[in-house]
Order: sequence, then structure tokens, then C-alpha cells
Amino acid sequence: MKTAHEIRPGNVIMFEGSPWVVQKTETTRSGRNAAIVKLKLKNLLLNSGTETTFKGEDKLDDIILDRLDCTYSYFADPMYVFMDAEYNQYDVEAENLGDAAAYIVDGMEETCQVTFYEGKAISVEMPTTIVREVIYTEPSARGDTSGKVMKPATITGGGTISVADFVKVGDKIEIDTRTGEFKKRV
Amino acid sequence: MSTSSNASHWDIFCTVVDNYGDIGVTWRLAKQLVNEYHIPIILWVDDLNSFSHILPTLNPKLVSQCFNGVIINHWTTPLAIPYLPGKVLIEAFACELPDEVKLQLATLHKTTPQAVPLWLNLEYLSAEDWVDGCHGLPSMQVSGIKKYFYFPGFTPKTGGLICERELFAERDTWQQDSANKLQLFESLGLKDIQAQDCVFSIFSYETDSLPALCELWQASAREDAKIHALLPKGRSLNSLQHLLPCPVDALMPGQQIMLGYLTLHILPMTDQQGFDRLLWSCDVNIVRGEDSFLRAQWAAKPFIWHIYPQEDDYHLIKLEAFIRLYCDNLAPDIADTWSKLNFAFNQGEQSAVKTHWQNLNPVSLPLLQHAKEWPIDAINAADLATRLVQFVKKS
Repeated sequence: MKTAHEIRPGNVIMFEGSPWVVQKTETTRSGRNAAIVKLKLKNLLLNSGTETTFKGEDKLDDIILDRLDCTYSYFADPMYVFMDAEYNQYDVEAENLGDAAAYIVDGMEETCQVTFYEGKAISVEMPTTIVREVIYTEPSARGDTSGKVMKPATITGGGTISVADFVKVGDKIEIDTRTGEFKKRV
Repeated sequence: MSTSSNASHWDIFCTVVDNYGDIGVTWRLAKQLVNEYHIPIILWVDDLNSFSHILPTLNPKLVSQCFNGVIINHWTTPLAIPYLPGKVLIEAFACELPDEVKLQLATLHKTTPQAVPLWLNLEYLSAEDWVDGCHGLPSMQVSGIKKYFYFPGFTPKTGGLICERELFAERDTWQQDSANKLQLFESLGLKDIQAQDCVFSIFSYETDSLPALCELWQASAREDAKIHALLPKGRSLNSLQHLLPCPVDALMPGQQIMLGYLTLHILPMTDQQGFDRLLWSCDVNIVRGEDSFLRAQWAAKPFIWHIYPQEDDYHLIKLEAFIRLYCDNLAPDIADTWSKLNFAFNQGEQSAVKTHWQNLNPVSLPLLQHAKEWPIDAINAADLATRLVQFVKKS
């Protein structure tokens, strides 16, 4: 069992006898510091999608499926193709990557985990921490150095995340892929 | 009093976290559902002593009693009164339901799933954008039962805001005659308040902003325009200990502390109707949390919101989200001043609080006008109870 707060895109959770792959997670804060986790799920048996919400500490029945360490190879619309150490290729539907798709870039060296359900590659989990380059962001508006003032930034691969106000174009930044949060400039 | 089974009744479970906030919201909702929708309500509360502060006739020693048509059960561990599933089950503010209730629901789900009540988690009020996307979503529980997240909010896509049907009419009638407020002050044991005086109610958490404001008010009050600050015993006064003649605990309701032409008045505890009327009667209200924050908006008077502090200053994001909504139709200069005052107050910035309070003076009339118009905009066609009843019907 995992708490909703620990669930990441690519995890598979069991409900009412069906496996659901987590495509997207969104954590927000309710009153009194309580976390609210919104999940976008896809039913692996019916191929249907749904959205659901949990308290951060709610327990979810995540199922352990076969996983393989792979690296990203190329994109053949609508499939992302990954390769294991023995050069076997696995296709994963773009839709199933959810938020992780924002971090996929050509030539990336990070090792991802491809998850299999009944022999089929169904999702990909990114490493917890990745480093990406900022390709566009507005200049610092207020000269803030505290790291508390945030602004949007586009990273290599085209994804957009909130970064500290002091981050500039060309900076390499560390991102927590579980939350999509900016961690630090590296 | 016994709790008879009635398949049409709704249960509301509430744990008291911060004295009057959570219970304040659920008590208002319970009363409204009974009064306006004739729904039998059982309100389960874990701390009847705190509850009795806003419902003085409540007997904290009884396990079950009835007020305003609402059955109030003491939520003990284990439950002293058995839970009998009704039509709806609301866990207020993500409180954890008693184990025996969860077990009962799980058993019911296996044997007679059609008898499982609609399970709702009534969440905290927030003006943030994400609420639109989360309101009404199911939460699949391990037991197989779906629980729905019900988010109060300011937009049509949210669960709305608690507001009784006749509230605005009652408020308008009250505010038309200044004799009402003077009579209220007298009934609360507050002496020497004249119609032309400035009266501020203060119901905040501890903050350095309060001594700063008191210092400013002391300097600005005059014989012909006295200032009165009304405070209940509790957290606001903890911040003003250095101005008090005795420890906060030793203060008595009705007691006055004269600081030149500024007078601090110690308020007695009052019920919710009394608190509403107090907010309607003051020139500015400083409120906290959720319940008094909303009631201050319905009072149609300028207010400062002391938001519940969260880790990493996350409360400032929530404050900003509300300010953005509240200031949407407000002239930029007024919005700027009011916004800065709220941020400064919440961050305990003494000098800034004083500056922005003073800047509020020239714009006090248009701000008051905005405060009168805001409640109609905020309700957005339907209040929370109305939307909740519709939600239950559709589910």
C-alpha cells in the first residue's frame, strides 16, 4: 500500500478488481496543511479514463508489476519507444506517460522504469530527480533571491514548470518528477 | 434522547480543531439543511465543550440532544450511540470517521450496496483555481465505496458558500437603523459606545500586527471620534498582553481597557446569530479562519482576513487567490491598498500594517460600497446548501 501522496505517474493501482495506471498526479494544499491529491487514471482492462481525488494520507492498493530499467530511444507518434540493456524495444502509448512526457527529450541518459501488465508495456516512471535546461523564462521581475517568488519556465522538451524568480534562460535546474516541482539550480 | 433510524436522515461528523471554526461551519450547515430543506440532520461532534461556546444552551454532558431541529450526538470513542446509516454521510474537513462507522459502511457495501449512504468529504473553503477541477470528484476507497470531495468555493463549478436564505434581508434591516447596533453593544455589556464612534471587531490569531494597529488607533482617536476595539477572550488578546492590566485569563466580559481615546472592550461569547449581528454592527471586522471570514463578507463591511497559517507560507497563496477574486471589480488604487493591508497583517509587518491602514482612510467609502456589492457576486446564483442538495439528488 502507498499513500496517495506517494503515488506517481506510471504507478498502477487496483480498484474494484481492475488495474488503473496513474497518468497524472496533482497535489494541492487544503486547509490546515492537509494535502489533496488529484489523479488521472486509465483502466487497463477497459481502456477508459477517470479523475479521482484523495486525501494525501489515504492508502491506495498499488500493485507490483514487472518492471525493466530502460532508456528512451525515440518517439513514433503516438508511441514512445524505450530500450532495455539487451536492446529489446518497448512501445508505450504517449497518453500513458502522463506528466512524465514533459521530461522526455531526445538523447536523455536517465534510466526510466517501464512497467508491464500481461506482457504489454503500459507506463513509464521517470527517475525521482532529473536535470533539465531552461530554454525560456521571463527575466527576474523583482530581483528576488529568496526562492519563494516563482515564475513559469519552459524546459528542454517543451514542458513548463514553476521556478524560482532568480532562474535564467540557460540555467540547468533540478526537478522532482513526483511533484513537478523545481528543486534547485545546478 | 434516542437516535431513531431514519433512512432519509443525513449524518455530519465534525472534529473540533480550532474551537469555533470547523464546528461553526458544520453547525450553520446543519441548521440550514433542517430549516430550509427539512432534512433530518444528526450532527456528531467530538468536543461539546467547545461547541457550547457558540451554542450556550448545549449541555456538554449529554450524549444526545436536539437544538434547532438538529440532533447533536457526542462523538465518543467508541460511539456511545450506535451509528445508523442514513441517506448521506458527511465527514467535515476531512475528519477521520470512527472505525465502527467505516466497518459498517464496508459491510453494507458487500451485503446491500444500495443502502450505503452517499459519502461526502466537505472540504475547506479556498478561492484557488484548482478547486474547480477537484469539486465533486469521487475518491475510490479501498472498501470499494466511492467518497465524493465537496469543495466550497466562489465559482459556479464549486460547491458554493454557506449562506442562509434570509440572511441578507435580515442584515439590511438591521443596518438600516443605527439603534440596533447600540442596543446590541449594550446587551453585550459594552459601555460608552456612541453612534459616531469607530468600532472594530477583532477575532484573529496571535499576531504582531495587532499591537501596531492599537498603537496607531491610540494616536488617531480623538474625543469627538473615539475608537473601540471589541475582542473576545482568546488568541487576539494574547498579542496585546502588554496593554492589559491583568493576564488574559483574568479578563472579564464587558471589561474596558482605556488607552487614551482608544478603548478595548472584552466581548462575552455569543451564539452565531449574535456574532453575525456584531459583524453587521462594526465599521471594520478583523476575522480569521473560515467561518468568521465568510460571515465578515456577508456583513457587507470592510474586513481584514487573518488566514490560518500553513507550512511554507502556503496560506499566502490562498490569501492571494481570494484577494484576486475580491478585487476583481474594485478600482486599482483601492484594491492595491486593501490587498497590501491584508498581506501586511498576515505577515505581522507592523510598520506596513500601520501605513496601509492609514491609506485606507481616503478610500473607506468606495471600499464599503464594494463590501455591500460583493456578497451578491460571491454567492454566484446558489448557496452551498442549495448546491449540496442538488449534488445529492444528481448522485
